[in-house]
Amino acid sequence: MTINKKLEAAKLELLLEGRLDTTTSPMLEAELKQSIEGVTELVFDFEKLEYISSAGLRILLAAQKIMNKQGSMVVKNVNEIVAEVFEVTGFSDILTIE
Amino acid sequence: MKLKLLPKFVLSLGVLGVALTVTISLFSYLSSKEYLEEMYAQRVISGSKSVAAMLDITDVRRILGPGGENSEEYRRVEAMLNTLKKDGDITYLSLVIPDEDSVTFYIDTCVQELGDDPANKLAYGTNVLYTEAAYDEIDLQKYYDVWDLYAENKGTDKPLVTDNSYGYNYTAVSPILDEKGEAIAEIQYILDMQKVRDHLNSFLYTMLGISCSIICIALLLYMMLVKWMVLNPVEKLSRFTTEIIQSGDFKKQEIVISTKDEIEDLGNSFNVMLKKLETYIENLTAVTAEKERIGTELNVATHIQSSMLPCIFPAFPDRNELDIYATMTPAKEVGGDFYDFFMVDKRHIAIVMADVSGKGVPAALFMVIGKTLIKDHTKPGRDLGEVFTEVNNILCESNDNGMFITAFEGVLDLVTGEFRYVNAGHEKPFIYRKGKGYEAYKIRPGFVLAGMENIRYKEQMIQLDIGDKVFQYTDGVTEAMNKDNQLYGMDRLHHILNQQCQTCGPEKTLELVKADIDAFAGDNNQSDDITMLCLEYTKKMEG
Repeated sequence: MTINKKLEAAKLELLLEGRLDTTTSPMLEAELKQSIEGVTELVFDFEKLEYISSAGLRILLAAQKIMNKQGSMVVKNVNEIVAEVFEVTGFSDILTIE
Repeated sequence: MKLKLLPKFVLSLGVLGVALTVTISLFSYLSSKEYLEEMYAQRVISGSKSVAAMLDITDVRRILGPGGENSEEYRRVEAMLNTLKKDGDITYLSLVIPDEDSVTFYIDTCVQELGDDPANKLAYGTNVLYTEAAYDEIDLQKYYDVWDLYAENKGTDKPLVTDNSYGYNYTAVSPILDEKGEAIAEIQYILDMQKVRDHLNSFLYTMLGISCSIICIALLLYMMLVKWMVLNPVEKLSRFTTEIIQSGDFKKQEIVISTKDEIEDLGNSFNVMLKKLETYIENLTAVTAEKERIGTELNVATHIQSSMLPCIFPAFPDRNELDIYATMTPAKEVGGDFYDFFMVDKRHIAIVMADVSGKGVPAALFMVIGKTLIKDHTKPGRDLGEVFTEVNNILCESNDNGMFITAFEGVLDLVTGEFRYVNAGHEKPFIYRKGKGYEAYKIRPGFVLAGMENIRYKEQMIQLDIGDKVFQYTDGVTEAMNKDNQLYGMDRLHHILNQQCQTCGPEKTLELVKADIDAFAGDNNQSDDITMLCLEYTKKMEG
């Protein structure tokens, strides 16, 4: 998986490419830990994300919890497979998906 | 072929030396040969010309004339020619008159001091036929050539070279011309070239001999030098390493090489490497020991985890109202999936299927908490929505790591066939209806457990009849992957269930599905736990 990061003032946009699973989610976790401070607008662009596993969902949930306190979080360009995962796990109820 | 270093050095240098010697010797030999031959050619030509020019025409006429053999002139000229022969070291010097088929000798010099045998001296007027004198056809042609030149009043410009049983000779002839410029006789001047050839040959052999000796001595010295400067230290290093490899003892070993060159550097590097290796091995030993310890603990954890899942089948041998079977195949040593089933009371059986986010020990620990909480809170008659709502809140309290669980719980009333269930973000179950087959049953998704506090879960209900089955699983099933990164998926699962498992009991069903997943994934590593559970409602319980 590769992570493309765009940081403009307090807006952080992360473009994920590949598979977000047990082996790759620590990368995203580390990236967030490093960059999330002071961010008020967090955007995940999943246009090129092929797959998300429960480990990936955990990172999203953690990010959502942090952003609930310091701003807003949006997930966009979600493909069918990922959307179904969000649907089945009930994540579509707590995430803002565009 | 394996050659040691020294023979390699010697062989390569030897070849080079021999090539060099042969080249230089041959070159010197050939250039000397050319020079000497040229010099002798000039000598023989100019010699014959000088002698011819020296003779007085009247003397010659007198010698050739009647009674010339006994004339005063004959004696004088012969004496002069003998002196010339002696002083000039000429092999043969004669005054002759050639003809078209023979040559007549008038004066044939003979100097005993030079080793000439007077018996061989050709007497005045001796006529020798070319065919008798010539050694072969080529030789014969030379006599004719001389005759042709003589007929034109000319001598030879180049020596005639003959190399046969008479010896290796250079011959020059020069005509003696009268006042009208016509030849009346000629001087035959012959030099023996065998001496030159012998000299050249001995020169070549001497040169080769000396060069070879020099090369041999140089090689010997070089060998000693190489052995002393290169091979001895290298051998020392080699012996040292062999010893270390054989003994396997890296500790406190050191090699001292003081050649003040690259080999010394090599030795020093080797010492540094040994020290590092020693430290490395110590670290490795410690790390390996630690790893073994962790491995053992993980094995224990795996054992504990698998023993926490009900694994004795048939699970309820005294109940004929239901048949149940469940399996879990972990991906790593300790997985995050779990299933559970237990009798809530005499007429209710509960099934649980769950997946903890992440893997390994943290997931397994969280799983233990989740499993215990769900089982503890499931009470007879209690609303399953309430159970999950409460479990969720408890899990949220002690969840700093942001883990969560997707879970499905269902409770079947064996008397009425009522199947109440609650879902927390888990996969849709497959419900088998007798005569209709398996269908993925759409249920409320619900949010995952431990994700967020105060989520309200709602219980739902479905009516099951005798012979109906519930198949529940985790995403390890649908997301099993093959080499081309394709997912197993709901469609394949749906297909196998309906094609092969409709009439099978729970145990056979799980076996067939697992076999199908394995066939699909092939050699690809299993990336997630594969957990499945199947419950069949076989008989109405008497109320």
